[in-house]
Amino acid sequence: MKKSIKSIVVLVVICAIVSVIMAITNYITYPIIAKNEQQRANGALLEVLPDGGSFEEFDISSYTLPLTVSDVYLAENGGYAIKLSTTGYSTGMVIMCGISPDGRVVGTKLVSSSETPAIGGVAAEAYREKVIGKDVSNIDGVDTVSGATKTTAAYRNAVKDALNSVIILGGGNVDLRSDEEILNDNLSEALPAAEGEFEKHFFVEETEGVDAIYLAKNNTGAVCVIGESFVAVDENGNVTGAFEESLAQTAISAVSMINSTTLSDIDLSAYENLPKHLVSAKRTDSGNYVMEIKGAGYGITGGDEYHPASGEYILIKVSMTKEGRVIDCLTLSQKETDGIGSVCAEESFYGQFDGKTPETYGEIDAISGATLTTDGYKKAIVRAFECVKIFEEVK
Amino acid sequence: MNKNSNLSIFFNGILKENPVLMLILGTCPTLATTSNVFGAFGMGVATLMVLVCSNILISMLRKIIPDNVRIPCYIVIIAGFVTVVQMLINAFFPELYDMLGVYIALIVVNCIILGRAEMFASKNTVIKSALDGLGMGIGFTLALCSIATIREVLGAASFAGIAIPFLADYKIEFFVKAPGGMMVYALMIALVYAITSGKGPKKKSFSCSGCPGANKCHSKECEKEDK
Repeated sequence: MKKSIKSIVVLVVICAIVSVIMAITNYITYPIIAKNEQQRANGALLEVLPDGGSFEEFDISSYTLPLTVSDVYLAENGGYAIKLSTTGYSTGMVIMCGISPDGRVVGTKLVSSSETPAIGGVAAEAYREKVIGKDVSNIDGVDTVSGATKTTAAYRNAVKDALNSVIILGGGNVDLRSDEEILNDNLSEALPAAEGEFEKHFFVEETEGVDAIYLAKNNTGAVCVIGESFVAVDENGNVTGAFEESLAQTAISAVSMINSTTLSDIDLSAYENLPKHLVSAKRTDSGNYVMEIKGAGYGITGGDEYHPASGEYILIKVSMTKEGRVIDCLTLSQKETDGIGSVCAEESFYGQFDGKTPETYGEIDAISGATLTTDGYKKAIVRAFECVKIFEEVK
Repeated sequence: MNKNSNLSIFFNGILKENPVLMLILGTCPTLATTSNVFGAFGMGVATLMVLVCSNILISMLRKIIPDNVRIPCYIVIIAGFVTVVQMLINAFFPELYDMLGVYIALIVVNCIILGRAEMFASKNTVIKSALDGLGMGIGFTLALCSIATIREVLGAASFAGIAIPFLADYKIEFFVKAPGGMMVYALMIALVYAITSGKGPKKKSFSCSGCPGANKCHSKECEKEDK
């Protein structure tokens, strides 16, 4: 009995003494450890905002910020360090962005990413210098790096999101919608009956004054984009909303024209010397042509000859007048390198062909970094010009 | 040479009874922290400090601590010193702290320390225990550093973080990985056995009485010794 009591006493005493020693050490080291940890956490923030002083995390739960913003730190000097996660060529690109109190980019840092190391990774590293000093007004003017468009565009957009966030946190209002969302909002406003579902009309007739027509997918009408105006024409052919007489007339005639146009198939086997790249052709009752033609992009080897098995062609839909002038152009499908040659599927590229003739199409520049794709595309349009010529000669 | 002279106690730990290479104790931290010299040295010194302190304290208390609660007492003392060392490293060498991570806390269960407490400090005077701790600690540090030097130079082409330029193109990453660690460790053991030509401690010199399981052990040698 006595022995076991002694054991307990000794063990308790040893525990007590050791606890005291640990308490003393903790008392001495705790403030140093806390300071170290603070410094470590601030290290990344100070790197992008060197004048920031100390930082504290900012509660962003009550603000509507761009989706890329993950954390916001408020610096002692009134600037912000903002952590963003975005998607470049692949997901998980984390960027730290330091913004001065007057709303300029002070520094950015690519914290982590899984971009292609030799292309997107390097470009993003070089690109971070380019955005320094920019504010929300001129950040869009920073060029992307060719060959790494996706990575650098994502980088720039993330930095722009950071700049916008600072404005929002300061009580300002920023339109966070993308171009597509703005367009769709405008269309929906003009024609609420369409319930936000629109499809862009592919022009087969030259329509003076109308930039684009969007058809409601539920057949409730169409919206004509005329300059800055969105003129809605309902299913009965009446303009809804108050517009100038001339605008309304233009819209009504454009919509009635596209509704009345009929297309007839052209039998390609009836013609000789047609390029094999031509997939199909139709003629409108007014004599215009709508063609689907293949363009040899980066994926095609073997030069100008048509090689059905050599790879994926770019499929282009193009409409032309009988004189050989492009009315409208659209990329239907393509398998070019994602982020490089794939620009040929963007309207900013194929929209350039509108109104071009065999004499003027050469004005369209190849896109650097995607020369093969864009040159192949231009060649396809040239073939379409030839096809129209052949159709017209035979006729 | 008197087996128990203070000098021989000190030198025993460095080569003849080197804890890592001859007694094969503390293999976990040996493999885990020897991928670079800086980490290995830090680990060695941390262990050395805990070892010396716990040896001294346990030796001082050896007549007070009752036999039946000696292991809990040793563990409490060792854990206390490890926590103290951990706090000190975190405060003053945060870089080392990040590198060693959980292995600092795991010094508590490093069998070298408990082994020396049980085998040596609980039976010897304070001075001898301190010397034993110092020798064992230095032996541990030296073993770790030599393994780490081989692994870091061959595997990462650097020494204590300083790059060796002409080796940069000939890195053998195998050495910084776990299998490389095991191989280097095994070769070091072989080398030390060759140097000491098997004069290392025979099982007898540990003596079964120092074994925590002595009371329950039924091996013939153990029973023979008990008689």
